[in-house]
Amino acid sequence: MVDWNRFPSHILPKLKSHYAVKSMRREPKLFGDTSNFTSIDYGDVIHVGDRYFLIVGYTKEGRFGIDEQPKQWVPKVYDLESGERKIAKLTFHETYKLTIGGLEVTCYRNPEKEAQVIELVKGNPFFMQGYSALDEAGNLVRVLEVVQGMRLDKYLENMGATHKEYFEIHCKGMLVNFLDSVRGISLLHAHGLKHGDIRRDHIYVDHEDGRFRWIDFDYDFYLPERPFALDLFGLGNVLLFILGRKNFRPSDILQDPELGPEVFAKLDTNDLSLVAADRVFNMQKIYPYIPDCLNDILLHFSAGTDVMYDSVDEFHDDLVACIDKI
Amino acid sequence: MARWEKILVAVDEGETSLRALRYVGRMTAAMTDLSICLLNIYPEPPPDFYTNGGVLAVYQAEKEKRADMIFAEAERVLLEAGIQPGLIERNTLLAAGKTISQMVLDVQREGNFGTVVVGKRGVSKAEEFLFGSISNALARHSSSFTTWVVG
Repeated sequence: MVDWNRFPSHILPKLKSHYAVKSMRREPKLFGDTSNFTSIDYGDVIHVGDRYFLIVGYTKEGRFGIDEQPKQWVPKVYDLESGERKIAKLTFHETYKLTIGGLEVTCYRNPEKEAQVIELVKGNPFFMQGYSALDEAGNLVRVLEVVQGMRLDKYLENMGATHKEYFEIHCKGMLVNFLDSVRGISLLHAHGLKHGDIRRDHIYVDHEDGRFRWIDFDYDFYLPERPFALDLFGLGNVLLFILGRKNFRPSDILQDPELGPEVFAKLDTNDLSLVAADRVFNMQKIYPYIPDCLNDILLHFSAGTDVMYDSVDEFHDDLVACIDKI
Repeated sequence: MARWEKILVAVDEGETSLRALRYVGRMTAAMTDLSICLLNIYPEPPPDFYTNGGVLAVYQAEKEKRADMIFAEAERVLLEAGIQPGLIERNTLLAAGKTISQMVLDVQREGNFGTVVVGKRGVSKAEEFLFGSISNALARHSSSFTTWVVG
């Protein structure tokens, strides 16, 4: 028999009737302290701020090409008062070294920074929404709205039968939406905040209005002289993906029947990424119909560049000027 | 235009700083109408500093102690070159909410220094993109003063 007296009475109707609890063979536990998140399981309840949330699943994340792993510190939750589904991000401080092109950068999970971003972008449609609250132990938990949409990379893959068709019909619209994303990052930087993990799968395309929404702001990094360099690097990578609809390693080009040795032979090391020489940034060599102005922006991120962007605003202004032309 | 003989030298513990100081010593040893300010800027602590129980005052005290050692070595180099001790000043600052190059530029402007001296490490494009280059940043922004970038 479950001892329901451990739970406040006002959440009992929703708690008792939820499938996550009805299907359990053990008693749900109530956690006011979420420090040890690995002990919090499916069907348990966490108490954060003035709310009680039932754990109904876990979010997953994997780097591209790697199996997705459940993130135990990011459970999917059910608000036992409002009945809404949310995502809770429990406090998890982690430090690790990221190696980019042989260079080492120290990265951090920074819940406090994510909370600051969430506060700053409240009501901004180009960012994931939510709020932060403390648990009983003082852990900063972020309670997030579920973004109803599709990852940008998956969204783009479905557009146009061929790249040319995608580029001629859809790409400009994607660039216009991406401009709003770039302005969003500029807003963060103006307030001394970073996104921290700009990737093509950290933009969601809203099912209803098609807007691009940034998600996941808890990464941080320590680059005192170029604090926003990795955000800029990420924006360059996202633009590359929007223009190409995929990333091309030199070996991909060689193996692609539509490109093959003829295109491969035109490439040199200056065409590869400035920071990590794992992808081709000189997209015009792959798709010659990409206009100079867009390719020139990409070339700022290539190994052959003599001019680098110092700020997101410079990147934004070039992109605006180019979109006006095409 | 500020007097070029009012010189700001950005220093750290690296060999490039010592090379820059030796260069300043050779260029200015015979001058009497001269002032040299040794400047050491240190960055804000990393993002996990406070969650790991760090205290800013302790961090600053450590950095300032290290700066004193850097200054002592820098002064030794300048004195050996023949610079008079009374012509040398010291300044240590935390780059609070700013990059180190922005702080150097702020000190230059506020102190009306005519010459700013930095050592040049020699970095790859990728390193410059990720970690920055103080010498390149200063060279780009030196519109009302002279920058000596010593390689």
